[in-house]
Amino acid sequence: MDLEDYRTVFAAGSLVLVLIAAAPTLGLIVPFSSGGERFSEFWVLGSNHMAEDYPFNVRVDESYNVFVGVGNHMGVSSYYLVYVKFRNQTQTLPNATISEPSPLAPLYEFRAFVKDGGTWEARVTFIFSDVSFNGDSVSVNRVIINDEAFAVGAFSRWDSEHNGFYYQLFFELWLYNVASQSFRFHNRFVGIWLNMTRQLLYVEA
Amino acid sequence: VSGPKFSLVLLMSLVLASQFFIFETFAEASKDVAVLALTGAEGVVVSAYQAVLRAEEAGANVSGLLVRLNEAGGFLARSRIAYDLGDFEEAAGLANSSRNIGVEAENAAVELKDSAFFERMQRMWFMMIGSIFGVVLVSLGSFWVWRVFKRRYYRRVLGMKPEVSSDGS
Repeated sequence: MDLEDYRTVFAAGSLVLVLIAAAPTLGLIVPFSSGGERFSEFWVLGSNHMAEDYPFNVRVDESYNVFVGVGNHMGVSSYYLVYVKFRNQTQTLPNATISEPSPLAPLYEFRAFVKDGGTWEARVTFIFSDVSFNGDSVSVNRVIINDEAFAVGAFSRWDSEHNGFYYQLFFELWLYNVASQSFRFHNRFVGIWLNMTRQLLYVEA
Repeated sequence: VSGPKFSLVLLMSLVLASQFFIFETFAEASKDVAVLALTGAEGVVVSAYQAVLRAEEAGANVSGLLVRLNEAGGFLARSRIAYDLGDFEEAAGLANSSRNIGVEAENAAVELKDSAFFERMQRMWFMMIGSIFGVVLVSLGSFWVWRVFKRRYYRRVLGMKPEVSSDGS
């Protein structure tokens, strides 16, 4: 190895050391992308805070609990709106393919500000009252969600294939868009199926 | 129907009708108040959220502010529900609570952003001075090491004795 070769090695080593010394300042000037996909998690859990024991066979005037939650991975603190909606089997669900929310009016809503990497969760207690059974149809006229009563008038026919009067309580996730200064459907929804059953009366023999 | 009797009936009808109109007018007025309160609260909460985003961008820890914003959001959601259920007085009250928390949060966010910006600038200056110092130190150090190395290299080369190869040339 002659002196020129040594000079090259020295120059390269010095340059590396200079770059290391300048790295903190370079970090302030050169924007480094945090990378990764930006998304939000959205979930509904059963009464035991687990993905099990969801209410299914529901009765009039009985109280049921679920937990709805949001996880933020959007890179910044986000402002979410969660709509609680109720439908029968024939009413429209949100369309995730075209990012279209359900046209049904929301019954209840939650607003949550979640830090990037953070989560938010809320308990949803619901009771069905004023339910009328009439042969092969049932009409749920009132739903109480977190102590607020809502008139719904949701009608369902007997589903002979699955043996029940089916309804769905579902949640839509909306995200506040700073650019448009409005909430936009965030293309996420979760829900639970409910089978409305009659109150059984046991008479002692 | 005689004149006085007719007048009495007419008067009573007018009194009854006026009660209805007064009630309707009050209902409309309270609805308008609720709409104003709700719109105002929504604007304040959004403005507070944007101030929090700016503070976050400046490097501030906004966890405490998000807790306050969640309180404001909770009141706002309940206000919206009360409005939809026709309870305008409750809706206006809740919206005002939301608005008050939103104003507090926004002010706190602006302060936090300013202090975070100041801290960030300070940190940036320290880093820049540290970097410049480091670069100069590394450059001078490398130059010195290179000179020492070169001197030793030449000494080693000049100190070498010529060797005679085996074929005698």
